[in-house]
Amino acid sequence: MIKCELIVEKDGKVVYRDISKSFVQNIGKILGVILSSPGGTPTSYAGAVTSAVVTDTTGSSATVYGEYYTTSGTADCGGTPAAASAADNDDSYGIVVGSGVTPVSPTDYMLAAKISHGTGSGQLDYDTHTILTSYTSTSSYIEISRVFVNRSGADVVVREVGLIVRNYWKSRYNLEKDVKFLIARDVLPSPTTVKNLGSLNVRYRISLAVT
Amino acid sequence: MRGWIEITVRDKHGRVIQHGKHEMRSFVNNFLKLFAGMLSAPGNTPTAMGYYGVYASTSVIDPTGATQTIYIEWYGNANAAGGGVVCAAKAPGSDDSYGIVVGSGSTTLTLDQYTLATKISHGTGSGQLSYGISTFDDLGLDMTVSPPVYRFRLLRTFTNNTSAPININEVGIIGRSYWKFTSVAQDIKYMISRDVLPTTYTVPAGGTATVAITIEVEVG
Repeated sequence: MIKCELIVEKDGKVVYRDISKSFVQNIGKILGVILSSPGGTPTSYAGAVTSAVVTDTTGSSATVYGEYYTTSGTADCGGTPAAASAADNDDSYGIVVGSGVTPVSPTDYMLAAKISHGTGSGQLDYDTHTILTSYTSTSSYIEISRVFVNRSGADVVVREVGLIVRNYWKSRYNLEKDVKFLIARDVLPSPTTVKNLGSLNVRYRISLAVT
Repeated sequence: MRGWIEITVRDKHGRVIQHGKHEMRSFVNNFLKLFAGMLSAPGNTPTAMGYYGVYASTSVIDPTGATQTIYIEWYGNANAAGGGVVCAAKAPGSDDSYGIVVGSGSTTLTLDQYTLATKISHGTGSGQLSYGISTFDDLGLDMTVSPPVYRFRLLRTFTNNTSAPININEVGIIGRSYWKFTSVAQDIKYMISRDVLPTTYTVPAGGTATVAITIEVEVG
């Protein structure tokens, strides 16, 4: 069995650590469409070979691709199915945090109240992502983490965290698919207050063990 | 996330003679490596001239035991339809190189395994099984169980066209990282799960074994 653990550190100390119970249905759709792909498509082929419909972060139904080949005749063509390493200051995907407390539903497509990137009131400074890996013959894990720094001048309270991925396919001249969709959301059992100039490190650890 | 392996063996008349359902215990390191690669992908490569190449990758072990780097985010540099897939598993009929595969070995599982202990090859010769096409079913969200789950299923039928029974003791899934533009840029296969079955399934001459792997993700 694959387990996902959510770890929240505030100012370097773990304040929450538990099994994440909160994948949402979009993750099943993207994993399924990837594995349902045939591969081996002829080099002349253009277009979608496999696709699925997810709910994007605006609440709209959106088609994402598992196996896809961009329009023929344009250069620099390719993509990725579920990117999560959003860049510094980008709060549109990757690990995100919020202030909402609405209970998690399998059909959630966004945090209840996402905290935006920035230094204004109620905002947090979104950092880059870090990936850690550890593989052995009996237990292994991978971890994605992101640090959020409070530069707002006042307390910011975090009550929920989530993970948004990006299905992105492009050629030199065309952006052919760019869909962001939530795959996990957890509501913390108690609010975490990030003081001014304090930081929060949110880590999703996915682990595997021989059972 | 977990999975179930369901095996149904039929004789040459189509009668079910053996059936079982077992919990999967054995995604292997290659599957986690795939996840790590996807999570590390930036997914924001500019649409401008010259932005081609590998933007995210991960290292896996292929079925020969060789270390391979598979692309997770990749762009070809030619005027062609470019793209690909990170872990295709819907193999066509007669292809035993990926998709659901079966074997006769029973070596204890470790996470660093990269191939079945003794894969049964496709064919009609002694000890071989004819690999059927793969099918995929998106079973969707099931809110009737607690916690709710999202399920999908891979299925493949193996036919014994030899004159002797063949034993199945292990089942695996091999994925395929395939990227192309004017030519094939990458075609690497790698095992993502292996299960040693608690029971030997014996496929009689003229019979079939249908292997259905249902993967379910607990959601919400």
